[in-house]
Amino acid sequence: MLQLIFSVILDTMYSWTRMLIALLISMVIALFTGIAVARSKKLNRVLMPVVDILQTLPILAFFPFAIYIFVFYLPGSIGVNAAVIFLIVTSMLWNIIFGVYQAIISLPSEYFDMARIYKLNLYQRLRKIFIPAALPRMSEQMSLSWAIGLFYLVTSEIFSVGTKNYAVKHGIGVEFVKAAATGNSYLYIYSIIVFVLFVIATRLLLFERFDRFANRYYLKDYKKRKRDRFTFNYFRSRGIKLDEETRHKLAITARIVFYALLTLLVGFTIYNAIPFVNLHLLSKLVGYEGYSLLSLLFSFLRVWGAFIAIIAISIPLSIKVVFLSNKTKRYLLLFQIFASIPATILLPAIAELVYGNSELLAFIIYFLSGLWYVIFSIVATTKYLPESIDEVKRIFHLNGIVAWKKIYLKAIMPGVITGAVTGIAAEWNASIVAEYFSAGSGKLITSVSIGVGKALNVALANNNLLLMGVLLANMVAMIIIINYFVWRRLYNRVNSVYS
Amino acid sequence: MAFLNVEKINFAYPKSGLTVLDGISFSANELEFVSIIGPSGCGKSTLLRIMAGLIKADSGSVVLAGKKINGPSSSISFVFQDFALLPWLSNLENVKIGLASKPMTEDEREKTALDMLYKLELKGFEDAYPNLLSGGMKQRVGLARALVSNPILLLMDEPFSSLDELTANSLRKTVVEVLKDKKTLPKAIIMVSHNIEEAVEMSDKIVVLSNKPAVVKKILDVKIKRPRDRGSREFRKKVNEIYSIFAE
Repeated sequence: MLQLIFSVILDTMYSWTRMLIALLISMVIALFTGIAVARSKKLNRVLMPVVDILQTLPILAFFPFAIYIFVFYLPGSIGVNAAVIFLIVTSMLWNIIFGVYQAIISLPSEYFDMARIYKLNLYQRLRKIFIPAALPRMSEQMSLSWAIGLFYLVTSEIFSVGTKNYAVKHGIGVEFVKAAATGNSYLYIYSIIVFVLFVIATRLLLFERFDRFANRYYLKDYKKRKRDRFTFNYFRSRGIKLDEETRHKLAITARIVFYALLTLLVGFTIYNAIPFVNLHLLSKLVGYEGYSLLSLLFSFLRVWGAFIAIIAISIPLSIKVVFLSNKTKRYLLLFQIFASIPATILLPAIAELVYGNSELLAFIIYFLSGLWYVIFSIVATTKYLPESIDEVKRIFHLNGIVAWKKIYLKAIMPGVITGAVTGIAAEWNASIVAEYFSAGSGKLITSVSIGVGKALNVALANNNLLLMGVLLANMVAMIIIINYFVWRRLYNRVNSVYS
Repeated sequence: MAFLNVEKINFAYPKSGLTVLDGISFSANELEFVSIIGPSGCGKSTLLRIMAGLIKADSGSVVLAGKKINGPSSSISFVFQDFALLPWLSNLENVKIGLASKPMTEDEREKTALDMLYKLELKGFEDAYPNLLSGGMKQRVGLARALVSNPILLLMDEPFSSLDELTANSLRKTVVEVLKDKKTLPKAIIMVSHNIEEAVEMSDKIVVLSNKPAVVKKILDVKIKRPRDRGSREFRKKVNEIYSIFAE
């Protein structure tokens, strides 16, 4: 038994090494990107929309693709590990960039004047102003990134073990799969306990300390912070400037011209490419597209079905915890611990519970993957409510249904919308293991009849890069379209009133 | 017995045990406008919240029209320093919040709230949202919400201190104007302020608090004829009298 626990701890340390390397890389990239984007208007215009889109994409779904590319160029286990670390970085990076960006943007201009008056050079400005000013917000975002990263880590490890040729050799995910494959419930339970202990230890030993260190640099005179939400921040701040109406019009014209040119270019390329494309490939592509769309439709129904269930549960639960309970802090701590357990590691246990009903299993995994994002997003929104709201409630005797209708349900709307974007992205992220999962050596744990997650697995197993590409392109297009036409519109409407 | 009696209020912060209010007593008669002034952080707002029933005092009592205040009551209304409007409700909806607990039909609520908005010169802004308004207009909505339910006691927590001086001045005039209207007049008004001139301009009585812990330093009557001219000798004399109390 001791040996078993020892091997679990060792494997967890492998996983944590990947996480720490990824965190370090993310911090360095985010620090410099964030500062650069905040200080350069040109970079800002180019990079921010890209970052904004990237952070709402389910990049984990790209894992099969990334693994294929990395292993192709880097030998064996180095390639797989690089792919895992790369994936974790892509999960951690965006919100740290936004954190740094926000910190620098909200720095009072006196600091820049001061730097100019005393002729500080770039190095001095970084050392004395930008980096210290960025630290508190960076620290805040890092612990969030860590939680997201854990999900990516475990899911990518589990996924990789399920593939024949691309398995990581050590990692906590490996232990979970091993436990599932052999039906060793002791191993499974030890793994979960060790994992949670590692999560708690990291929080206490690393993040709490770093937070205390970083907060020494907290400036009381940051320009008044409005509600800090990352998704859509960029587009919102650009959209609302009413005094720059002409510039806005110009921007729209520029965009129309750009898209027109793009359409022309794409049309031209396709027209010219037709003679060269062999008919076989073309018919294959059409077939793949049909298959992709069908898979996407089925996965869409699962993801959104689970999302509706998430909304039905997270809204009353969050309202209860935030507004109606006096043990809010204790509940949130509990939630944080639950949320730190990636839903994907529960897969083998849930598979047992539902007797291998793959549809139900996928639904539960989707549900658990998205739930916490929505809850934490709602909780985060309510942090920025005016403090006097509780007093208003009591002075004017707003109770029961009136309070729900006029205060709670309305107050959480921005949080529900941003939570929906990140929560649904997290659901899609889970798709690569939720819909299809084999515990190596042919032991199939779950497999839905049709869906994107399953299709990606099948494509990787057959080294079918083309199918993978078509699947991912369809998925990305769908998410961007929904974000643009549904969530961003809702968000802008709500935000023009709320802030 | 006066209309409102504040009797030996003691209060200490629950966490630090630091005494904030030490035996505060004063009274207000019907149709009196009373200001509470004192250095910032002395506990004025806490005192006002105790009177509103939002906070429980450690000892002492607040008695309004012969009834002891034990919690928020529908006969007491409150104007907040930071306006405390609900950003997701239109201005009209915000004012209707003031009537939420009244047994009225929705139509009656709407009509009463509209009347009050018009009285505070907010015609045309009924359907706008608070965050599109300037600070002065937000506080007009805040006042409308507080007055719409015809409270018998109106409590105001530094209602003008979030506003610039010009805006504050015109809003003070509006308040004095609206409060002349006998139909909506609360029987007593208590305002917390750190602005001595504002207090002298508006009040019939001024309660001066000291700092850490707050005790009542002095209670002065202000008998200057209205409308009051800030430049008049009488006015300056009163202001100087209060300054000298603080200088002691």
